[in-house]
Amino acid sequence: MIKKWGFFLLLLCAFTARADEPYVLKFATLAPAGSTWMNVIAEWAGKVEKESQGRLKFKFYPGGVSGDEPDMIRKIRFGQIHGAAMTGHGIGSLYSPARVLEIPFLFRNYEEVDYVRAQMMPEIRAGFRKNDYELLGWMEVGFVRFFSRTPIHSMDDLKKHRIWQWQGDPLSAAFFSASNIAPVPLPITEVFTSLSTGLIDTVIAPPLGAIALQWFTKTPYMTEVPMADGIGGLVVSGKFFNHLPKDLQELLLRTGNEASEKLLVETRKDNEKSLGVLKQNGITFTLAWKDIKEADVISIRDRAAADLAKSGYIPAEVYDRAHKALAEYREKKAKQR
Amino acid sequence: MRLPQNSLKPALIGLCALLLNACSTGQIVARSSLSIMDSGVAAMNREPDLELAKAAIPANLKLVESLTREIPANRELRIHAAQGFYGYTFGFVEDENPARASALYRRGLEHALAALETAGLGDPMTMPRDVLHQKLADLGRDAVPDLFWAASNWAKWIDMNRTDPARIADMGKVEALMQRVLELDETFYFGGPHIFFGVWYGSRPPMLGGNFALSETHFGKARNITQGKLLIADVLYAQYLAVQQGNRKAFHDKLTAVVNTSADSYPEMALANAIAQHKAKILLKNEGELF
Repeated sequence: MIKKWGFFLLLLCAFTARADEPYVLKFATLAPAGSTWMNVIAEWAGKVEKESQGRLKFKFYPGGVSGDEPDMIRKIRFGQIHGAAMTGHGIGSLYSPARVLEIPFLFRNYEEVDYVRAQMMPEIRAGFRKNDYELLGWMEVGFVRFFSRTPIHSMDDLKKHRIWQWQGDPLSAAFFSASNIAPVPLPITEVFTSLSTGLIDTVIAPPLGAIALQWFTKTPYMTEVPMADGIGGLVVSGKFFNHLPKDLQELLLRTGNEASEKLLVETRKDNEKSLGVLKQNGITFTLAWKDIKEADVISIRDRAAADLAKSGYIPAEVYDRAHKALAEYREKKAKQR
Repeated sequence: MRLPQNSLKPALIGLCALLLNACSTGQIVARSSLSIMDSGVAAMNREPDLELAKAAIPANLKLVESLTREIPANRELRIHAAQGFYGYTFGFVEDENPARASALYRRGLEHALAALETAGLGDPMTMPRDVLHQKLADLGRDAVPDLFWAASNWAKWIDMNRTDPARIADMGKVEALMQRVLELDETFYFGGPHIFFGVWYGSRPPMLGGNFALSETHFGKARNITQGKLLIADVLYAQYLAVQQGNRKAFHDKLTAVVNTSADSYPEMALANAIAQHKAKILLKNEGELF
């Protein structure tokens, strides 16, 4: 009998010990330690740990130590890590319709982006949840532009360039097809060398990305007109999230949202600073919005959207809702003038 | 009262001589110090006691800096200063106070850039990249120390300022400087250029410019140059390449071997090895966090 009780006591102790163990959120990103993104994410983690009184902690895998985004997604599925800060490239594999915010030539400025995103966010969150992921926060890579070896003064000029296409990316494939451009598909790891050898002469990147990857050293020209706004998200697996007590779920969502707001502000500041650095480094800015025929880009935008709807990557109704929200915003703005 | 002209002349000559002497005394002292500077550096390199080195180096750095004020165009002094700032910051400041480390690496860089200016390179910070590449090609073997310590301090200054696009933009220039060192003398400073490129390619994922095979090759060459006696090569291999590859076994084995190496295995570089062992212990303590 004593033996039996002893066994129960031992079991009880084992359960008590488990209940005291903190939850550890293993979180990966390509952003290096010490970069703006990682600094904000680390600050978020500190807040979560403090407010949860140590019940929920983060363990970071920064700087791509967990591999690239497809590797991270694989690891999340196997439960080796639980979450990641991801760009549109990875988000496409989690809930591709979220990339409606990356449709080419959809937005002119951040105000438009913010308005449409706010309108779309409930359905984007629901989409992630349906696919067993929880979207904790939104972020941005920023407006991506064409960086080229020779100047681009018009949309027709673009066709004369050998433009890199991120191999396997359905969104950029739709853009090139809609623009009647034959791109050069390459993995991102081969871009710098291919710019040096001349295999490609144009790349698409946000200003900070072009600096960090040193692509700008091979491309003296940059278009002012952005091709799209690169998105990003703070994502955690549904399995991990749903396993958390309610209060910790709420804490993650609330603080994730706060971190997200900070990430948006800081990334935009970094990209703005980067534009100045590019100028200082002798990069010439070409192709402003005034040089573009509105009808040309609208046609590319809608054809790309139709292409993505056809493949089911971004359903037509999702694009229609984003488009409608944008029209609504532009109308409001026009009335204010 | 008017002084007689013949009495004024010797007085003026005396004053001029005195002034001239005053102008040159500092320079004479500075120049005469150069001969003992090398042995000072060698003695510091042989210092096995970290605390003693940590306390002693700042005074030496200030001394070298004061001498550079006397003879600003002296490359030898500038290189001593650049090397001193780099070594002190890497060994004793960087892990505890990155903001201070940033300022100190920058000072080291400024000394190295002054040396390069005297060597005829001009200012690589403001120079267009294509001009820099041409000018680098004109530099010979004697510019290796200037280039090596400029690139080393510059890379670390960037590393301490990863949030600043203006700093990150200069990475290509730093790489060009160290690439020239590699071409001119790959064995310089115990295979330093290879250690640099081991970290350069091993500290980033391939997507962001990393190349693990190249990193492995450079670390291997650095090891061969000192027959593995300079332990910092193994520490940096573990800290960057092994972590980036998620190779916990290599991380653990390399660092454990460093910690277990006898302190007197390489007397000429006892201080660098003591720093390496100290860093290895800290990294091993954080192993659970990194994997």
